[in-house]
Amino acid sequence: MLRARDYAEADRIVTLLTRDFGKLSGIAKGAKASRKRFERKLEPLSCVTLFFRRRPHGQLVFITRAEPGETLHPPLDDELTKLALGAYMVELADALMREEGEAARAFRVLEDALAAAGQGPPTLALRQAYELQMMEATGYGLDFARCRLCGNRVETLTGALYFVVARGGIVCGRCRPEAPEGAVRLEGQSALVLAHLAVTPLELIASATAAGRDGAAALNRFLMTILDRRLRSADFLDGVL
Amino acid sequence: MPENLKRNDGLPPAMTRLVKELSRLPGIGEKTASRLAFNLLNRPRQEVIALAEALLEMKERVGLCAECFGLSDRPRCAICEDAAREHDLICVVEGPADLMAIERARSFNGVYHVLHGAIAPLDGIGPDDIKVSELIARVSGPAPVREVIIATNATVEGETTALYLAKVLKPTEVKITRLARGLPAGGDLEYSDAATLSSALNGRREL
Ligand SMILES: [Zn+2]
Ligand SMILES: [Zn+2]
Repeated sequence: MLRARDYAEADRIVTLLTRDFGKLSGIAKGAKASRKRFERKLEPLSCVTLFFRRRPHGQLVFITRAEPGETLHPPLDDELTKLALGAYMVELADALMREEGEAARAFRVLEDALAAAGQGPPTLALRQAYELQMMEATGYGLDFARCRLCGNRVETLTGALYFVVARGGIVCGRCRPEAPEGAVRLEGQSALVLAHLAVTPLELIASATAAGRDGAAALNRFLMTILDRRLRSADFLDGVL
Repeated sequence: MPENLKRNDGLPPAMTRLVKELSRLPGIGEKTASRLAFNLLNRPRQEVIALAEALLEMKERVGLCAECFGLSDRPRCAICEDAAREHDLICVVEGPADLMAIERARSFNGVYHVLHGAIAPLDGIGPDDIKVSELIARVSGPAPVREVIIATNATVEGETTALYLAKVLKPTEVKITRLARGLPAGGDLEYSDAATLSSALNGRREL
């Protein structure tokens, strides 16, 4: 469940990321009154099995019933940082996904990320790994493992690296003159950490180290470029994580 | 399209205007608004004037209590003025309707703090958008506070707000409690019945 808001007296309009139908928006008539059909389930961050039918016209599907999801992640509401990170995770998924696209992979990334956040601890490494893997799942994969131009692996490079948005990854000092676009300067160590986070299963992230300021700045620069706005939940997350 | 061929709803303009104003209200569609308008049309003039005056008076006189931010037509509300209430026991609620629900349950004798919202990161509503700093100032101010009961809704926003308040109030070393989870999960306080609210208050746990 990505977003939910009350509509009129008793209804709720919700947006979900589904395993089988991509991103969906729907209306649940009487959701506020009928605890039997919906209970608490139509809330952001929850994982549900949904019964719906499409309506001939209009974009909203008609949600008839919601049941607890098959794979329930541990609840996030025992820790402020978990809730803040969870909100950021669903908002990022919402922003990166288009309606009705294929989404099985994005669904799995979000599911694993919420599970990891619920399990705790909710760390900066988890945030960065989620950003990298959700971007990859939605067609914005970034390469921090090797120079995008000469292909040399980061381990073999010395000196500063440059994260160039338009190249979708890093460029080494030697190749930098050929890729003079605006860039974020990156320590080799940060690039290695990000490359590692991009491929580590999310349930194993808890003990991983996060990339430093420069790594966070690179990810932020890229997200700002593709989304063209800052996520609403980012400020709150930055305040508590 | 010329003016005189515009869709005509068969109502005089004065009725159309009233229907339009009424249908701005939450939960009132155009149908209900028309029904209300016809009902008002058929009422005695005095009753309609009384309603209009009540609306105006409410808007002109009701403001927020300077202490708890509940609704009040005086600088301080009746609850904050009441010496018989426990002023060192503060119950924090999201809105005035929640305050009313707890008052109806008749099992709380402290005072309130109305936040006027909840922290909702997904909607971009942060602590600065609701009356959080006012609560911190009040709890760390000169008047002694024994306990702060956080009675925000059992929703994601309500839980986020509760955990945030617990965090920022921690340095004051005042006891912070949260309503027991007897509330219908995902439900709003204002829709809970008196018995449920009383038991949620009595079973509150420390955060
Ligand atoms: Zn190179
Ligand atoms: Zn007051």
